[in-house]
Amino acid sequence: MLTVNGVTKKYGKLIANDNISFEVNPGEISVLLGPNGAGKSTIIKCIAGLLKFKGNIYINGNENKSLQAKRDLGYIPEMPALYDLLTVWEHMEFIARAYSLENWKEQAEALLERFELEDKRKKLGSELSKGMQQKVSICCGILTDPKVILLDEPMVGLDPHAIKELKNLIIERRNKGNAILISTHMLDSVDEFWDSANIMMNGKIAARRTRSEIAGTGEDLEALFFQITESNRDRIGGME
Amino acid sequence: MKALSYLLITQLKNRILSLKKKPALLILNIFVFAMLILLIVVSVFATEEMNYGMDFADERIIYLIIAGLGFLFLGINITTGLSTGSTLFTMSDVGLLFVAPISPKKILLYGIISTLGKTFLASFFILYQIGTLKSEFGYGMREILILLLIYVLLIFACQLISIGVYIFSNGNLVRKKAIQAIFITAGAILVALALVYQRSHQTDIMDALLWMVDQNWFGFIPIAGWAVLLFKGVIEEIFIKVLGAGIFYTIFSILFIYLLTSGKSDYYEDVLLSTELTDQKLKAAKEGRKYSPKSNRKIKIKEDNKEAIKGIGAAVLAYKNRLERKRRSRFVYIDGYTVFACIGTGIAAYNMKGNEFAGYIILGTLAYILFFMTVFGPLNFELSKHYIYLIPDKSVKKIVASSITSLLKPCVDGVFIFGIMALLGGTDPLTAIFLALAYMGIGVLYVGLTVMYQRVLGGQPNMLAKAFVGIGLLLIVLAPSIISSVIVAMILPESLRFLSTLPFTICSVAFTAIIFIACGDLLDKSDYLVK
Repeated sequence: MLTVNGVTKKYGKLIANDNISFEVNPGEISVLLGPNGAGKSTIIKCIAGLLKFKGNIYINGNENKSLQAKRDLGYIPEMPALYDLLTVWEHMEFIARAYSLENWKEQAEALLERFELEDKRKKLGSELSKGMQQKVSICCGILTDPKVILLDEPMVGLDPHAIKELKNLIIERRNKGNAILISTHMLDSVDEFWDSANIMMNGKIAARRTRSEIAGTGEDLEALFFQITESNRDRIGGME
Repeated sequence: MKALSYLLITQLKNRILSLKKKPALLILNIFVFAMLILLIVVSVFATEEMNYGMDFADERIIYLIIAGLGFLFLGINITTGLSTGSTLFTMSDVGLLFVAPISPKKILLYGIISTLGKTFLASFFILYQIGTLKSEFGYGMREILILLLIYVLLIFACQLISIGVYIFSNGNLVRKKAIQAIFITAGAILVALALVYQRSHQTDIMDALLWMVDQNWFGFIPIAGWAVLLFKGVIEEIFIKVLGAGIFYTIFSILFIYLLTSGKSDYYEDVLLSTELTDQKLKAAKEGRKYSPKSNRKIKIKEDNKEAIKGIGAAVLAYKNRLERKRRSRFVYIDGYTVFACIGTGIAAYNMKGNEFAGYIILGTLAYILFFMTVFGPLNFELSKHYIYLIPDKSVKKIVASSITSLLKPCVDGVFIFGIMALLGGTDPLTAIFLALAYMGIGVLYVGLTVMYQRVLGGQPNMLAKAFVGIGLLLIVLAPSIISSVIVAMILPESLRFLSTLPFTICSVAFTAIIFIACGDLLDKSDYLVK
């Protein structure tokens, strides 16, 4: 389970995240929606323990910078960051050793096969295209069998096969009881499987809906998204 | 042309207006400008009488500096041209101008003017040498302005050469080899000439070099020679020399611009790759990352498992770094820098034989280079990846593990460099050993400083503030080590003078240990700023 409680992140005078709170339960896919610059990637990085912030974040009840929280967390960044001089397989081995995993090879083989990377095992990070790097990055994030998974714009740069596999993988992980948080500005890409949605605007959560709430009221998530983002833009335009 | 002139003017205007939003930068600019004016006023008026009747330094030294700079720029730009090429453009030019219905020739002119403007601004540092040039050589504003012009011409001409070489040799190995051969042969001929003069006149190499740059034929050597010819023409007030240099540069520029724009040659494709690479370098610098260009060297991945990563938890970072080093250099810690430093030290030690401070001068020079290599080195690179932050292990363990290769590298280098110094410079072996230890100590200290910088300045977006505070911290950390060594050197008798660097080494290691203890929580307390 992921708990975000009153998180504020500032860069100088700019407030990137303003007192953000939400939860993602086990077996739930939660999406962070919002236009560019809304603060989605910042909150994901705060949860991953990459940024300092005010407030509290817990991964399965453990403070997010604790070792146990790190063990339970899988993070797939927006921009794949591979080591130029390690091969694809060595990235797997590096992660397995860093997280002290046992019997990981079978899982690594399965992931590489799933994302059509078996024949790239001996390719160096620098020899891969951006899409390939993103696939390796996904494999690295999932190899540790995390209980909470953070995906920051994960579909960007992927080919159709990899997008399909990633979607299937996300659904499988939900069924296994993982708490999954996906940041995106493309509603269509998560339309089939989201359980809860947080719409972010100017560093705040402007609205939160669950799929069951929307099904009950007949509200349309896309319409709500544009209503929030565009009314805000009009308001700012009016103020100017 | 309207769009291009609008672009040039608007960019300049916005650059100036942006200073309003950056008060620190505005103050710095005003300060630099005020200092410049002050320097010009003081040096032009105040030393007029002081210079009267004084003996000035040998003017050929300036010729040699101009020639040296010319060859240096030439070498760097030809090398760049043989690999990726230089560029006059930015990625926004590629995206917006190259596809616009504007003549490529006009766009090239825009690129040239824009580059010249930037080069001219960068060359202002020469004006800070007014005092030295006036007191040592008796130069006035005219000579100094000519030096400024020469600097701009050198940079501009070398950039054109870089693009020209790239267009001429791109994808053609024979042409690349031919250009390399011409450049190396020309260099070898000049070195041979200087050596012949040195032997035949029983003089030193510096005297031979000064003789060479003063010869009339030297003025016909492209770029570097023309620059010397121009300056000599101004100094000696010989108009034909100034005119000659002007004609050479003009013909050269026209020829290269013609090469870029003539016939079927499409420079857009040629400059695209170099513009992309330049853009990547700039982005990496802005984000405080290390830019690692793709190597053309084919790295062979062994079939057996001997190269596999080892270690568990944080230790895996050390093994990973070692594997990466091994893939960069077969001998792991002995790489191009080791060879370069050994050769440089060997030459310096040989030439400074008998100078009791030679070892310390070499140590100081190497320590200066090592600072940049370490601070922008592997640890900094590791911190630009998210893995180190996520690995479930203690921050201090991860920092130490990822620093091990950086800690070992100066130790290995120290043995070779100061071994060579003892061998070629005749330095007493004990002194060489303790100098090597001091080199290792400072290498270790720099690793500690890299951690401290990230801890103290990691969240600071202003690069200028980072640089100022960084230098301040460096001085604070280095001062006690240097002072303790100087005091010990004064106290110790001649026979034990070799021990004078020991306090420096001990202090450096002790400071590093303190930094690691104090900043070991770096990964929990600092921001990961890379996207």
